Amino acid sequence: MSNHVLLNNIDHKDLRVITERSAEYGDNVMFAMTFPDEMRSVQAHYPIFFHKDGNTGEFYPVAMFGLKGQENLFLGEKGWDAAYIPLVIARQPFLIGIQQFQEDGVMKQQRVLHIDMDSPRLSYTAGEPLFLEYGGNSPYLEQVAGALEAIHQGYQSNKPFVEKLLALDLLESFTLEIELNDGSKNQLMGFYTINETRLSELNGEALADLNAQGWLQPIFMAVASQSHIRDLIERKNRELPADARA
Amino acid sequence: MNNTVKRIIVVGGGSAGWLTAGLLAAEHLSADQTGIEVILIESPDVTPIGVGEGTWPSMRSTLHAMGISETDFIRECEASFKQGTLFSNWTTGEFDRYYHPFSLPQGYQDTNLAFAWQDVRDKVSFADAVSPQSQVCARGLAPKQITTPEFAFNLNYGYHLDAGKFAGFLQRHCVEKLGVRHIRDHVVEVNEDSHGYISSLSTEANGPLAGDLFIDCTGFSSLLLGRHYGVPFISQRHVLFNDSALAVQVPYPEADSPIASCTLSTAQTAGWIWDIGLPSRRGVGHVYSSDHCSDEHAEAQLRAYIEPALGRETTEKLVLRKIAINPGYRERFWHRNCVAIGLSAGFLEPLEASALVLVELSAKMVSDQLPANREAMAVVAGRFNRKFKHHWERIIDFLKLHYILTQRRDSAYWRDNCSAASIPESLQELTSIWRYQGPWHYDATLADEMFPPASLQYVAYGMGLKTEPQQSHARSRARTRAQAGKLFQENAARTRQLLSMLPTNRELISKIKRHGLATI
Repeated sequence: MSNHVLLNNIDHKDLRVITERSAEYGDNVMFAMTFPDEMRSVQAHYPIFFHKDGNTGEFYPVAMFGLKGQENLFLGEKGWDAAYIPLVIARQPFLIGIQQFQEDGVMKQQRVLHIDMDSPRLSYTAGEPLFLEYGGNSPYLEQVAGALEAIHQGYQSNKPFVEKLLALDLLESFTLEIELNDGSKNQLMGFYTINETRLSELNGEALADLNAQGWLQPIFMAVASQSHIRDLIERKNRELPADARA
Repeated sequence: MNNTVKRIIVVGGGSAGWLTAGLLAAEHLSADQTGIEVILIESPDVTPIGVGEGTWPSMRSTLHAMGISETDFIRECEASFKQGTLFSNWTTGEFDRYYHPFSLPQGYQDTNLAFAWQDVRDKVSFADAVSPQSQVCARGLAPKQITTPEFAFNLNYGYHLDAGKFAGFLQRHCVEKLGVRHIRDHVVEVNEDSHGYISSLSTEANGPLAGDLFIDCTGFSSLLLGRHYGVPFISQRHVLFNDSALAVQVPYPEADSPIASCTLSTAQTAGWIWDIGLPSRRGVGHVYSSDHCSDEHAEAQLRAYIEPALGRETTEKLVLRKIAINPGYRERFWHRNCVAIGLSAGFLEPLEASALVLVELSAKMVSDQLPANREAMAVVAGRFNRKFKHHWERIIDFLKLHYILTQRRDSAYWRDNCSAASIPESLQELTSIWRYQGPWHYDATLADEMFPPASLQYVAYGMGLKTEPQQSHARSRARTRAQAGKLFQENAARTRQLLSMLPTNRELISKIKRHGLATI
């Protein structure tokens, strides 16, 4: 479970965060949310699909790490086997909280750093310190704060991005039939991709509009990322027992 | 003489008129210059009767065919999900109940699970044994999730809706998107040509309105088919006794009270009470036979039904609306170049919500088979009349079936319903064979029978139909028994899965209002 509290340099003075990647720290996830500004980095390593939020039915882009629930094919004994880890994963165990405050008699909001006190990453002996000796933020914490700010902005941009994709009929559902080297068959369902036929039919005006809003590059990043499906399947084949590989 | 059908005039602006105009305009591209022109004329001071708050699953494809977004429909028509009907007190009158769900039994196409169910009928109801839907309804769960695309489902469904809002919604869609021309005016005269076809309608403010095909959606007044052409009305009161209804809108006790995901139909001593859950209110009504029950008594039973949810004080303040009903249908529905669709064609008590589905089927057939000219029209009219006469007869048989399988003898109403004189021959034939062999595919005459044999099974077995043990068909029975175990298990597993993942009807509708459903 989680237990979110506002981070401060008094209560959490000596707290450290273990940044290693492994299933015991909760990294065994099949996919994670991404957003347009991150897609260039993500597409270098992972397929980018779209998925529906189970609570609202709204689409959001995701970086894929596995082919079934709780499967992360990038996790191994040496940690996470890719040069880039999506920010939504990297920011653990921190979150953004909204704090209300009054200024000149007006209620305002500001974003503040929260930490999940139940996260297995927390330690007083190992990992990265959060605060410097006299209370200033550690370089690690500064980096996390930057990541959270980027995630917050990215999360905001997903909504208009997805709305535009839907308005142009650019998303389509697909079912991926996967046959592994041992002959076993798997099915990947519940994900959506860019409809490339529709994309190729867009006229100049529609393309210019997408470009002006900054959506054109992420669309093509998502299209390009699909070559990594092969990589996921290969990683899965490598996990098969040696005698099962054809 | 130019007989080509280029302009269709729909008279009447209720759900029937707008559904018909919309289906025609969508299929025949009325919004384009080259398409067929569709004009809907409605009288400015007639208020639609607003029956038919329950639909069949067919409404999903009807809305889709008209290019309507399900999200908009749910938001603007006070719609909720309907997955069938729960019949209470129909069999013994002593707290008995059974479900008639929209989903077909597991393995229905090639396996008759009723054979195997006979062995366990004392332990599990037919509906529970063969479909997850009765359990899903019992818990007030929705037929789908927020991630399920528009019109797609986990379990087959139709809708409950506010008929008044529905007509307004369809009107906006038809006029703004589909190119239907809307005229508010009085029709003062129907003008015929020398062949007895309608050539035009004289209107009060818009002069004569010429057309090639005229659709009569004028409700009970049946302005064109009934009043102008005098096509006779065939009463069915000798079969279906109910001739009166008291309707009332019932508020929920709390803003987030559960919304029932099926229609509730509860038998009384001289009729039955419908209960339909919309997001903001329930629509409740008592349909009864005035020969067997006074209005006062019917009203007392209706208020007694509502009271447990609302308390005496609130219940007594509810305003009831009396509706006279006349069960039956016209001898023909398509005469010359005039087709009656909706109440103008006929009316039956809403026991299986057959009103809107008949409108959809009629409008779809007119649209699909739209005759190019008068020569073709005579043939299409003949086909239409034969098909819909069959539909009306089968609906009447099916409605009557609910009354004759009863064991109730507590009032003259139920006893009279079981008298042979009131039972159509076709139905007597059906039920006499059921003593030996239960309902199955051979009970269907047409490929597109309105009530598939599965519906007959749900109702007949729900009401306790027993067939005598068979000596014949040993091979089929053995084969079915072998498959039945697996099918029953699959159904149980699917039921467990759906019960754990489906939201309540209320939760899903609230989410759709907030987030909408995706189209993919």
